[in-house]
Amino acid sequence: MLNIFSMAILAAILAGCLCGAIGFHVDHFKVTTLSFSISHAALAGASIGIVLSLDSTYSAMAAATSSALLLGLIFSRVERGRELVSMAVFSTSSAIALLAIYMSTARVLATTSVATVLWGSLLAVTPQKLIILLTVTILFLLYISAFRMHIDAILYDKKLAEAEGIDVQAHTLTLLLFTSIAIASTLKLTGGFLVFTLLYNPVASASQLARGARHQLILSSLLGSASAVSGLAISYLFNLPVGAAITLLSSLTLLISYGVRATVERTRLREASKIN
Amino acid sequence: MQVVRGIPKGNVVELLGVYVRYSGSDRPAILDVNLEVPPKRLVLITGPNGAGKTTLVETCLGLLKPMRGRAFLLGADTSRREVVQARRMCSYVPQDFMKPPYETYLAEHVILLGFSAYKAPFEPVNRKERERVLWATKLLGIEELLSKPMGTLSGGQQQKVLIARALARRPMVAFFDEPFASLDRESRTLVAETLRKYVDSQGATVFVVSHDISPIVGHADITVKLSDGRITRVEGC
Repeated sequence: MLNIFSMAILAAILAGCLCGAIGFHVDHFKVTTLSFSISHAALAGASIGIVLSLDSTYSAMAAATSSALLLGLIFSRVERGRELVSMAVFSTSSAIALLAIYMSTARVLATTSVATVLWGSLLAVTPQKLIILLTVTILFLLYISAFRMHIDAILYDKKLAEAEGIDVQAHTLTLLLFTSIAIASTLKLTGGFLVFTLLYNPVASASQLARGARHQLILSSLLGSASAVSGLAISYLFNLPVGAAITLLSSLTLLISYGVRATVERTRLREASKIN
Repeated sequence: MQVVRGIPKGNVVELLGVYVRYSGSDRPAILDVNLEVPPKRLVLITGPNGAGKTTLVETCLGLLKPMRGRAFLLGADTSRREVVQARRMCSYVPQDFMKPPYETYLAEHVILLGFSAYKAPFEPVNRKERERVLWATKLLGIEELLSKPMGTLSGGQQQKVLIARALARRPMVAFFDEPFASLDRESRTLVAETLRKYVDSQGATVFVVSHDISPIVGHADITVKLSDGRITRVEGC
């Protein structure tokens, strides 16, 4: 049997890899604000779970998938104000989360169940949750392998793909559902307020360091895993909230990526001017 | 009307009293448009800037939905999900095709992506499709571009790659939005002749949107003139 630390490390690797890969697709499908709203719907679901004494991972999953379905359907029908609808879901979800925490029996935010949902905890990883995370990761890899050409066509030009008969709406909805399940599965490790960090920071760094879509996808997954594992280690060593440690590390990686990119560009320009 | 593989029975495109408005705009971009296009025609859609040419094409493909009236593509109502199936028998070259210098997709891959919509899960590209890519690129004389990243190609070269993609799909209906915009005179003539030959050899219908009619007008069977969102004249129908 794996001990709690081994399970936490495995969960961090899987969560980072899954969120990095999903984040790459979320960015290229241009549904970033939707995923942001879905992550807050997951937080609201987890908080409701605390109030109702349910397993907050499952209540987060229910709320996140419901919001993914709702937003996916709204997006396919509404052209104008999509971002605003998404932000309305975000603010409503945050309000529900705060209200649910206020109504819960926990009197202080440091109470274990509340703290796990808000700030994240390596103790939240159980064999069952690890299996869910592993299953979702395998399913997502299968999905992007099975529909590689469809997805590539959408990544290259969404409108052209739609005009050629690719069901862009169905793929967007599938991606949002994977996003919701990945967020709900990761939420208790990173905390509800920072869970989306793993979706955005790794892909932002990868887009600075690699140009090809495939390279960006792989790098985004690797950086996601690296941030999650090192964040976990720092959290353990310095007794800090896991979510905050992961977020700060992935933000630092992003900053370094911008620095590397700027240096590479400057060097190229210098070399080009020397040749001319 | 019946959608069939091969040459369609009935009109390939039917627009019945169609109004299309962009969200946020008070005025429709096209108004009261009625158009019936039978198969095996080369259709030229022309008019000044802002006449509604691109809107008309995107309405035919169901990318824009009518706020009033009905639109049919190969017999499929474009406001229903059945249009996704109909689109698989169509090709499109949009006006805004240009990719930035950092686009790393190779030209060959971009053309092969045109076959994606027909693909079952896990199905790889087959030999027949690679042959079709070679056929289409030979028609346009761009075989040497296949191994180059799209971002390194000029506007005209990128446009030819997308025209090759559209033809490689062997569509029953193809829509080309300003296909001559980035091309030199020689290439314009070549593309216009290629499209005419494609219509004649495949029994397909090709729509060409162009404000500059000189390269294609001699090849067109039908000319649709648009102005201020209305069809002002249809010649040759």
